[in-house]
Amino acid sequence: MAALSQNLVPASVPVPDAFEARTNATFEALMWALSRPGTVQTLPAPGMTGLVEALVDRECKVFCDDPDLSRFVAFTGATLAPAAAADHAFLGLDRAEGLAHLEQIPVGSALYPDDGATVVAFARFGEGQRLRLIGPGIETSVEITLGGLVPGLWALRAARSCYPAGFDMFFICGTSVIGLPRSTLIEVL
Amino acid sequence: MSIASLTKAWQPMSYGFLDASAKRELRRKMLKAIAVPGCQMPYASREVPMARGWGTGGLQVTLTLLKPSSVVKVIDQGADDSVNAASIRSFLSKVSGAAETWDTLAASLIQSRHRIPEERLHAGQILVLQVPNPEPLRPVEPNMSIARQMHADADYGRLWLILYEQIVRSGRIMEGAAYPSLVNGRHVMTPSPIPRWDVPKLHMAQHLTFLSAGREKRLYAVPPFTKVEPLVFSDVPFKVEDHGALTCHRSGVKGFYMNEIPQGDGGSAYELSDSHLGIKAIRQAEGEADRIGATWYQNGQSA
Repeated sequence: MAALSQNLVPASVPVPDAFEARTNATFEALMWALSRPGTVQTLPAPGMTGLVEALVDRECKVFCDDPDLSRFVAFTGATLAPAAAADHAFLGLDRAEGLAHLEQIPVGSALYPDDGATVVAFARFGEGQRLRLIGPGIETSVEITLGGLVPGLWALRAARSCYPAGFDMFFICGTSVIGLPRSTLIEVL
Repeated sequence: MSIASLTKAWQPMSYGFLDASAKRELRRKMLKAIAVPGCQMPYASREVPMARGWGTGGLQVTLTLLKPSSVVKVIDQGADDSVNAASIRSFLSKVSGAAETWDTLAASLIQSRHRIPEERLHAGQILVLQVPNPEPLRPVEPNMSIARQMHADADYGRLWLILYEQIVRSGRIMEGAAYPSLVNGRHVMTPSPIPRWDVPKLHMAQHLTFLSAGREKRLYAVPPFTKVEPLVFSDVPFKVEDHGALTCHRSGVKGFYMNEIPQGDGGSAYELSDSHLGIKAIRQAEGEADRIGATWYQNGQSA
């Protein structure tokens, strides 16, 4: 009896396991990336798998154009869905095909802004297109450069955004992440 | 594939009380809340070992964010030592191993019922406000489907009508707490029942604010550097409570939001609502090295 009650009492100082620590740190990076658009936050591990672990489960519909990542996503129990039905999309925006998928991503509506998808893509930071960002999370304005992205991406984002409808983007470069919420206005310089 | 690879070792409790799927759902909604500041996002609102209406919404957001290196402060109407605040704080540290503090400057995570601390929050701090009623339109539109449509249309005329009627009837705006405020120029939110004194602290702030209603199952956020403008008429300016000239009878501090304590002779004494600010001031007066940070208000005026 004593042994049983000992088992049921949690350890005096709970310690997160590796999965919990990783997903917590990943979310914290994503949260600050979205709260302060344009700032570079650090993920605990490179690549998109960490985001999948932290955000995606069987309640999600995920579109993924990378077959390796698709298998990882399927393992979480998420439904693999076409781009037009996805709430999370992991896209390769370095090619025109990715842009075609982005064109179909749900943006939600003024009635249900939370139906707008979360889009994750790789990019190269500090090179390529110069962008000026203004909006919530930015005191005045901030300039960033994002490379390795297909031309026409920013025009498509502008065309599909009708605040509060829109999609929210995370760009990943190694262990670095930049967030661009739908509330951010982007000026292509 | 083996069974072992699909299962996890038995644990007496998930770290941070909430299980992984509850945290993922909250994370998804918290990201959407940040992306659309002031817009209420529905979420599942899991059971926690506390009755709904006692801060379960704030608790779930805090539990999702907690990690062993977190330093948590919990206040209830400004006080760290009230039963509700002390119980939530000890629960948070028990389930996560996070450190507890009363000091606003030392906290990484501040869960609050109806006050924002008087010391300025800095970048990197997260304020979690408990919200009983997240819908600013409820007094004018009890049907939540229609209220949702009104938010979609940015149809907030009836909120101005309430304020107008108050001015006509009473000569001034009577909204004491939960003053409706326009966030990012688009969504009107209720900033939880914080006094008017605290509403300007949300405007273009350094810190990130989450507001979460557990019973109503909705959460919303105010990211850093986001416009939060109380609804006002251009010829009737927004006024905070007239507390700038009051002095705390315990610490002698002047110029902050006060609790009124009725006295036997019919008069009132006042004491600082932000209890730890008072403690710091008393310690300083006694010669202890206790630092009071920069405050939002100086000499009773918004800085």
